[in-house]
Amino acid sequence: MGDPVEQTMTPARPPARTAAARPGAALLTAAALLVGVGGLLLVCLTLPAPGEGTAPDARAWLTGILALLAVGALGVRGAAQGMSRAARVAPPLLTGLLAVLAAEGLLRAYAVPAGLIPTPTRVLAALWNARTVLLQDTYTTFVLEALLGFLAGTVLGLALALLVVRFRFLERGLLPYAALFSSIPIVALAPVIVKAIGLDWPSKTVVVAVTVLFPVVVGAVRGLQSASPLHLDLMHTYAAAPTRTFLDVRVPTALPFVFGALKVASTLALISAIVAEFFGTNGHGLGFRIQIEVGRFGLDVVWAAIVLASIAGIAFFSLVSAAETRFLPRRS
Amino acid sequence: MLIVALIGAVLYWPLMLAANVGPAGRTLASGAELDCRTALACASQLRNPVVPAPAQLAQGFARLSTPVTSPLALPYNVGVTAGETLLGLVLATVTGLGLALLLVASRSFERATLPWLVASQTVPVVAIAPMLAVLLGQYGVQGFLPKAIIAAYIAFFPIAIGMSRGLRSADALHVDLMRTYHASGVQTFRLLRFPASLPYLFTALKVSVTAALVGSIVAEISTISFSGLGKMLAENSRASDTVALWVIMGYGALLGVTLVALVNALERWVTPWSRR
Repeated sequence: MGDPVEQTMTPARPPARTAAARPGAALLTAAALLVGVGGLLLVCLTLPAPGEGTAPDARAWLTGILALLAVGALGVRGAAQGMSRAARVAPPLLTGLLAVLAAEGLLRAYAVPAGLIPTPTRVLAALWNARTVLLQDTYTTFVLEALLGFLAGTVLGLALALLVVRFRFLERGLLPYAALFSSIPIVALAPVIVKAIGLDWPSKTVVVAVTVLFPVVVGAVRGLQSASPLHLDLMHTYAAAPTRTFLDVRVPTALPFVFGALKVASTLALISAIVAEFFGTNGHGLGFRIQIEVGRFGLDVVWAAIVLASIAGIAFFSLVSAAETRFLPRRS
Repeated sequence: MLIVALIGAVLYWPLMLAANVGPAGRTLASGAELDCRTALACASQLRNPVVPAPAQLAQGFARLSTPVTSPLALPYNVGVTAGETLLGLVLATVTGLGLALLLVASRSFERATLPWLVASQTVPVVAIAPMLAVLLGQYGVQGFLPKAIIAAYIAFFPIAIGMSRGLRSADALHVDLMRTYHASGVQTFRLLRFPASLPYLFTALKVSVTAALVGSIVAEISTISFSGLGKMLAENSRASDTVALWVIMGYGALLGVTLVALVNALERWVTPWSRR
């Protein structure tokens, strides 16, 4: 998942006209954005929150919101022209802003009860009101379970990969199983481990470690074996020590594969931590909170937990990506 | 591979004993009625073993698998989950293909949405499943479909990304050739870009099918469902029936491997030219 993303993000395309070259277009873009965002903001301010005041005529508001959204989208399209840094960063931010505002407006226009879909403002309020509990949950799920499990699984996976590459019989014997295991749904594994180890956080950490293990093993082995035979021969003619060869040839070629696997594993880790919590906890963790609050129809807290989980997930992913750019040798 | 399986089988018995001795000792010390004397002898007969003994596993397997057509037995539930997963995969493929086309067609669309698509995947999507289930249930979407939608939600992303990469993977030389033939955009797509993207599509499908399986199982766990692997997992987890959990896990593993094999077979059938 990690690798292809980056490649699609920087497609080879002819450079487009920059906004600076056409001041009229820039002005139009700014106007469209202003109308879109400002209009939606006004809509949100004028409409009453669900449950307060009389329900407005939804149809008219819907057309208005959709029209404003279309104008905003036009603005985003204008902002995405060119190759500047702003043209890369601004569009997604604006899209997010527009989407949140439109959601708020639509939910208010249709007076959707908060027990069904809470408005973004309500979610924000819930996020603030339940911050101590939610932060504790995030700490349990993210730091204790996902992060620790990720580290354990990575270390174990790398060790296993080294063994597999070192001893050929292991490669034939163990590797097929690693591939097999990665096609097994992790959720089926979670209840067994939780039942075996107990309700405290270590059981979830083990689930995460097991989930992380297989992609890392498969990725690392593929990476370690992808060293070009030519380079290996060259090292051989230099009479380099095996450790030298390993450090100078095999490790650099393996790193891209390892980091690709780690990126996949980072998202997997958080997911499996949350799923494992569905099978029993001692009352901590985001998965537990989500499960409990859905049962109580406290969907604003659920959304708040999801927001925190996504922030944790994005942070985790970018952490691994940052490590990748730091440790990967620059190529082309 | 066989030898490792053999070693695993040989090691299973002592490992099982080692894992179970502790709980067995505690059960004995608590004075429970057991027809065995030492902790070691009890290790293979615990009611809720950490790791079940082969005999227990076989027994559980027989108990949960028969009668084959019963809605309470596992084969039926495996079928339900498989159906949800496949329907989810179809939905995910349709969405993924549509998104891929949009991503390839418009750079502004790509710039505006791709970061959010990526973010939607770093978000633990399963966290949304329980809520999505409640939501869809409120609007009358029940039974098969909500689980398939959740499965699709988890599975669409690899397809969208893989496909958009695949659609760009056509050889530039071939694209030029099509241009010299004065081929229309649709023709270029149908004859060149689409076939070129198929290997990417199938690689993505293999990732997606396991993701979809996880999605449908999670959906079953977190919604009110009356059949499926997830429902059985949740039920037996609540009842602390460890042997049943192990058997269900085995079935889940089997289903996962089968689905991936199915995609592989489909790939061989659709793209016979890529066979090595």
